[in-house]
Amino acid sequence: MNVHFNKRDPVYVQVIRHFKEQIATGVFEPGQEIPSRRELAGRLKINPNTAQRAYKEMEEAGLIYTERNLPSRITKDEKVLRAVREELIDEAVDAFVHSIRSINVSADDVLDRVKEKFETDKDTRGYGND
Amino acid sequence: MNRFVKLVNFELSRFMKIYLVLVAMTVVVQVTGVIVKANKYMSKANTAIYEEMLSRTEFIERYGQMGFMDVTRSLWFMGPIAICTAALIFYVFMIWYRDWFGKNTFIYRLLMLPTARLNVYLSKLLSIFLMVLGLVSVQLIILPLENSVLKWLVPTDFRSDMTVSQIINGNPLSMLVPQTFTEFVLYYGAGFMALTIVFTAILFERSFKWKGIIAGIGYVAISVVIFILPVLSMFIVGRAYLYPLEILGLETAMGIIVTVMSIWVGNYLLNKKITV
Amino acid sequence: MIEVKDVKKKFGRKHVLKGVSFTANKGEITCVIGINGVGKTTILNTIMNLTPLNSGQILIDGEKINKHSYEKITFIPDAITMLPSMTIREAMQFMDDFYDSWNQERATELLGFFKLKETEKINNLSKGNRAKINLLLGLALDVDYLLMDEPFSGIDMFSREQIADVFTSHLVEDRGVIITTHEISDIEHLIDKSVLLDNGVVLKEFNTEDMRETEGKSIVDVMREVYQQ
Repeated sequence: MNVHFNKRDPVYVQVIRHFKEQIATGVFEPGQEIPSRRELAGRLKINPNTAQRAYKEMEEAGLIYTERNLPSRITKDEKVLRAVREELIDEAVDAFVHSIRSINVSADDVLDRVKEKFETDKDTRGYGND
Repeated sequence: MNRFVKLVNFELSRFMKIYLVLVAMTVVVQVTGVIVKANKYMSKANTAIYEEMLSRTEFIERYGQMGFMDVTRSLWFMGPIAICTAALIFYVFMIWYRDWFGKNTFIYRLLMLPTARLNVYLSKLLSIFLMVLGLVSVQLIILPLENSVLKWLVPTDFRSDMTVSQIINGNPLSMLVPQTFTEFVLYYGAGFMALTIVFTAILFERSFKWKGIIAGIGYVAISVVIFILPVLSMFIVGRAYLYPLEILGLETAMGIIVTVMSIWVGNYLLNKKITV
Repeated sequence: MIEVKDVKKKFGRKHVLKGVSFTANKGEITCVIGINGVGKTTILNTIMNLTPLNSGQILIDGEKINKHSYEKITFIPDAITMLPSMTIREAMQFMDDFYDSWNQERATELLGFFKLKETEKINNLSKGNRAKINLLLGLALDVDYLLMDEPFSGIDMFSREQIADVFTSHLVEDRGVIITTHEISDIEHLIDKSVLLDNGVVLKEFNTEDMRETEGKSIVDVMREVYQQ
């Protein structure tokens, strides 16, 4: 786990985002055990209070759950998991649209290019994996 | 209390290496002095008897017998005592200043100990005091030894034997080794008082730096004046209106007052005014 | 909680602290930030009663500092406070002798963490290692509050990283920490609260996460605003 934090967003927000990304990409699987707040603080090199806050917020949002005194785990709730994925996609699309809009180009044109890029990107990745 | 004992132990151990060197130096130099002096006397006797053909009695009549006084008057004997005295006087200052100087400032640690700061003061005081007593004891222990060395090197006819107490009495040592308990209390009490005055003066300097030097000197002056007030008053009046025993009593009282005052002021400075 | 209330301090004619007030909570890392010579060290010294204050008041959990406080609060100055002639073991023994709150288990753990041998003489340690031992002697006390004066200054990068790691660990967890620094970048993510000091006064005191959350500003952003006015 190596996260580069920016200095302007609250660290706990960045931690949550990091978790969402890991969930969305499948690095964290549903039901998987997550590090204790102390471990997390050590690994991400953040203040234990911040780790605590991030876990608290994630717990409230249903991203993680804790049973009795056992370590916390990633939620198995499909609805939440899907929402996380969608949220990340929406965010990325929003950012993309925001930056592309300033160039003044039509949606169709953009979509074609996006598709094209997707294909070539897949190809180069395919080569890279061989 | 426990921490106080530990502090004393700690302060003693910090100076122990140099202290042991002082002790060893004293023993070696003094014993060497006895041997050198004895040999010199005997070779003079040999020359006189075998070359100048003097009889033993004639030699003794002319040059006198060798006594331990010949040793104690020499630099061999007094030198180490002077060096030890100087070292201890120097250490009265260093026992404080060493904690401030250098890049590892130990005074932080001492002042942050979970014990009354007075204990820091008293432990340094007691350490110096114990070191003085220790050196005096060493001197007392090695005197008979040196006396025996002398007896061993110089034949009976040539020497006038002295007991240890005779040796002590005919010498500046008599100040350090009082013959009576009262004298002991008075001499060492006065020494103890002087130590507290100097310690407190040092703390004045440590608390107020340049101004503190003046305050420290002022404090010493005031202490001395208070202490000698009974004698001073007679001097001013120009008439001895007190019996010697009364003077002694008053001086003792003044000494106790000054000592208590010094410790109290020192404690106040350590708690309220000291700066690392 | 450590409360510093309107503390004034002068050395000679120089006013070093001109009425400094701030608080530091238990369980939080409070960072006193300011360039050199603005009185950061003096604040820590006054909290520990290592130098008298001219006016104002300092309370630790509601009471004035006394001899018992030193079992509850400790200070790690920028130079090691042990005799250079001591070995690490002797230094630890000294701490054990005088402090009930000394935790040898933790000291041993820290020694392992820093990869230092207890037979080594303090005098022979490198600057970075000496700083680590200095830290160890403070951290191994089971105290509620830890004050550290510039723990990152003048030491090598790897030692700095190791020391920063201490702040994210259980060694500091649940304690109140006050740390001074003139260089924030090593620990920007670690601190709960910033106190910006300049010229003997507190210019701003803020919770760093709240500042990021409500104003989107990093500590350096706030410093730039405050110091360049």
